[in-house]
Amino acid sequence: MEFIYYFGDVFTPVNFLLLLVGTIGGLILGATPGLSPTMAVALLIPFTFHLEAVSGLILLGAAYTSTVAGGAVSAILLKIPGAPANIATTLDGHTMAKKGEGARALQLSFLASAVGGIFGVLLLIFLTPLLAKWALAFGPSHLFWLAILGVTIIGSLDSASVVKGLLSGCIGLWLATIGFDDIMGAQRFIFHSSLGGGINIIAALIGLFAIPQVLTMFAKGRRNDNIEVIEVKKHAIGDAVRELFSRKRALAIGTAVGSFIGLIPGVGGQIAGLVAYDQTKKFSPEREEFGTGHSEGVIAAESANNAMVGPSLVPLLTLSIPGSPTAAVLLGGLLIHGIFPGTDLFDNHPEVAWTFINSMLIGQVLMCLFGLYIAGLAARVAQVPQSVMAAVVLGLSVFGAYSVQSSMGDVYVMAALGVMMFFLERFGFSAAPLVLGLILGPIAEANFIQGSMIANATDGLGSYFFSGGLNLILIAVVIASIIYSVMMELRQNRAQTVGVEA
Amino acid sequence: MNRAQHIIPSGIVFFVGVWIAWVSFTQQPSEAFLFPRLISASFVALSGWTFLKALLGWSKIGSGISRQMAVNLAPGLVVALLYVFWLAKALGFYTATALAFFVLLSLYDPAPHDNLKTWSKRGIITACFIAVMYGVFGLLLKVYTPREILF
Amino acid sequence: MKKLLAGAAMTLMALTGGAAQSQDYPDRPIMMMVSYGAGGATDFQARIVTMTAGNEDALGMPIAIINKPGAGGRVGWNWFATQADADGYTLAAYNIPHFIAQSIEGGVEYGADSFEPIANWGADPAVFVVAADSEMNSMDDVLAYAKENPGKLTFSGAGLFVGHHIAALQLEKAAGVKLAYIPTKGGGTAAMKAVIAGDVIAGVNNLSDAFRAREAGNVKILGVFDLERNEFLSDVPTMKEQGLDIDNASVNFRGVMVPKGTPQEVIDKLAATVPEMFANDRVAKKMKAGGSPMHIMTREEVQAMWQARQATLEELLAGL
Repeated sequence: MEFIYYFGDVFTPVNFLLLLVGTIGGLILGATPGLSPTMAVALLIPFTFHLEAVSGLILLGAAYTSTVAGGAVSAILLKIPGAPANIATTLDGHTMAKKGEGARALQLSFLASAVGGIFGVLLLIFLTPLLAKWALAFGPSHLFWLAILGVTIIGSLDSASVVKGLLSGCIGLWLATIGFDDIMGAQRFIFHSSLGGGINIIAALIGLFAIPQVLTMFAKGRRNDNIEVIEVKKHAIGDAVRELFSRKRALAIGTAVGSFIGLIPGVGGQIAGLVAYDQTKKFSPEREEFGTGHSEGVIAAESANNAMVGPSLVPLLTLSIPGSPTAAVLLGGLLIHGIFPGTDLFDNHPEVAWTFINSMLIGQVLMCLFGLYIAGLAARVAQVPQSVMAAVVLGLSVFGAYSVQSSMGDVYVMAALGVMMFFLERFGFSAAPLVLGLILGPIAEANFIQGSMIANATDGLGSYFFSGGLNLILIAVVIASIIYSVMMELRQNRAQTVGVEA
Repeated sequence: MNRAQHIIPSGIVFFVGVWIAWVSFTQQPSEAFLFPRLISASFVALSGWTFLKALLGWSKIGSGISRQMAVNLAPGLVVALLYVFWLAKALGFYTATALAFFVLLSLYDPAPHDNLKTWSKRGIITACFIAVMYGVFGLLLKVYTPREILF
Repeated sequence: MKKLLAGAAMTLMALTGGAAQSQDYPDRPIMMMVSYGAGGATDFQARIVTMTAGNEDALGMPIAIINKPGAGGRVGWNWFATQADADGYTLAAYNIPHFIAQSIEGGVEYGADSFEPIANWGADPAVFVVAADSEMNSMDDVLAYAKENPGKLTFSGAGLFVGHHIAALQLEKAAGVKLAYIPTKGGGTAAMKAVIAGDVIAGVNNLSDAFRAREAGNVKILGVFDLERNEFLSDVPTMKEQGLDIDNASVNFRGVMVPKGTPQEVIDKLAATVPEMFANDRVAKKMKAGGSPMHIMTREEVQAMWQARQATLEELLAGL
């Protein structure tokens, strides 16, 4: 209960002001297509040089929390996920916005984020020592199986055809191999100098989601008569709260999956939203409605990607191992003040550790309040004329892709992938499985190669990858996931045939 | 939608798959190409199946591209590509973005072109957008964009 | 008319080319590329040593850090050698022996003569670590295990042809045993995680990161791959003290460089100012607080060091 003692420190004028600035600024940056949480946090580092250790961390922590939640805004309103964490939010969120329910989708997403986020931070407060052991239990073989589990989701994710879904995933997996191979250093598929650094995931994300949106708007043409003005329905916050708690299953699965995956170093928050979405869909009696603007989809995805924030800091704060790129940046923010995460942090600087953690708790509440406040206003984005919207999104895409690592190459890759995706989408391919492939490919490959090197030196491939409790559990889940997908596919085919005959 | 429309994209994807497979299986060192080999094998199988389905006319998913769509899309696509692949670097980000933004707005704005008011409105929207972009990327985030040609 | 055109062309050239003139260098902010991820040791140190660049007695213009991580640094340095503007406004951080070892191994488009060194700020030796609960307490224990189980002692490091790998090769050569070096993706932190989690038996890591991990109670440090003991770890013996003939070829020197072709006046100006900038008191304090050993060297000293490393590494890697 030590943490309660430090709650007062969050409310000193300077700290609270920074928390407010970090939260609101983070929401806005997160909602800007192309600015990922890692980038937002990295860009803030120079400011923290001049602040006290606690204040600097509060600023970074607030920005981290709220950029993740802010990414949902552009995912819902524009079908452009702000970060890999928000991909799953587009699937149902954007369909809701197209029906004029943008305000409802945004309110649900902020409420779900806050519930997930608070749960995640509470885990961090109460279970840190236990969780640290759990985070370390995942070695290369387990991470490999976890990535394979992700691959099994690909086929069923947002695609009318399983084969085209899988093929989209394969394209993503291949794109991920472009560039220097990370372990051997061999050059692979570098047929243009822009590809030397491989395909940057953020640039790819912008291209694959934003550019097809822009081109679709162009393709509708200049004529006014066929442009449907979306009526943006008002939605009472009270209704959103009631709806959230009537969707307990989605909220519970999202929060649990997000906390669990967020904990594992190296896999991080990128896939938490997608896995939670997929699991909620599989357990829902209304699974047919996923993808058509079903609120469970938004709730699961958003509760998961904020629930991951707290646990993702466990390996950093206890073991000094940053589990994600964002955590690595936070580590820099601590070191610059001469504070070493681990026992040093909690024993010698408890005021830093606990004030920081508490501020994340308060930050979640502030984020939710502010988000709900702007939800109604933001939903009006749907009414911006298409000609303006297309040009705005194109401009943002170019700036966003460039600012990831100040590289023109990323801009070219972004545009090329985007134009390709526009045409592929017209023929039944889809972007979500492609991005999932792009994210999972490197995780699966690096862990397989590293695992097989360890295995070859010790007890052989077979026993390294196929024995041990955790391996076997993960393999069982992979097999169950495959069987489930095949069964669903068969049932769907039969239903269609029956439908045709009738 | 006609069969040819499905054949072209699935054919391209299939040939990309074959090319990837060929590269993966011929390049060295083989350890570094283990994963590309696995991926390209599944790639070829899946894309081959899709291509075959398209050839036989079994592909039904996706709405294809109509003539009207292509006509609508062409000018915007050309401007967008010029902007991204050439102007952004040659003129500097802010200059090129202002130019492309204004042209695209004029191309797709349904308001009539013979009215001074619509033109000034387009100019104002462009100026506002560039101001916001400069505020966010130039001042707040301090992103170092390529040098502008005019200033 | 012709005159007018010529005049316009002159003005344009003056406008665009004028800024490249080096008398008033620098007249706009400078970018520095780090070929490792944000938050890593190189990135962290680069941010500290450049934080005073905007002061009037330093460069008078701020330096912004840009990260281009990937493949042990190859991605960033390749970009720097082939695509960066040689106008003095694009600097990069170098890591020795990493980029020299990679250029000897091949498959990259840079070598020691693609870059012009400016100054060195730090020297971070590699150290040998085992988990805190390990039964090994000295290099003797490690080598005894390795001799009993040839090729089975797994130990992690940040990648192939980086400082850790060089240290690993030197260890194998000096002890005359076969070990299983496991390169990780994700740099020193991933390699450290593998040691703490028990994925591997031991590891080679940066002194600065290992020092921190030891403070947190996660690892034991058994030896330093350097000629002398380090001030941060005065209780840890060098490899030589433990009877292994290993020099400082794997010590990770970090500093600033520019691409070949940068105007000489710009190089001179940087070479004169940057070491002063590194020597700033605030910088030294922050570096010490972060557990990062400093080692300031001038351009001439760095040039000599690069040449020496090139020769040593060519000899060491020739056997591969």
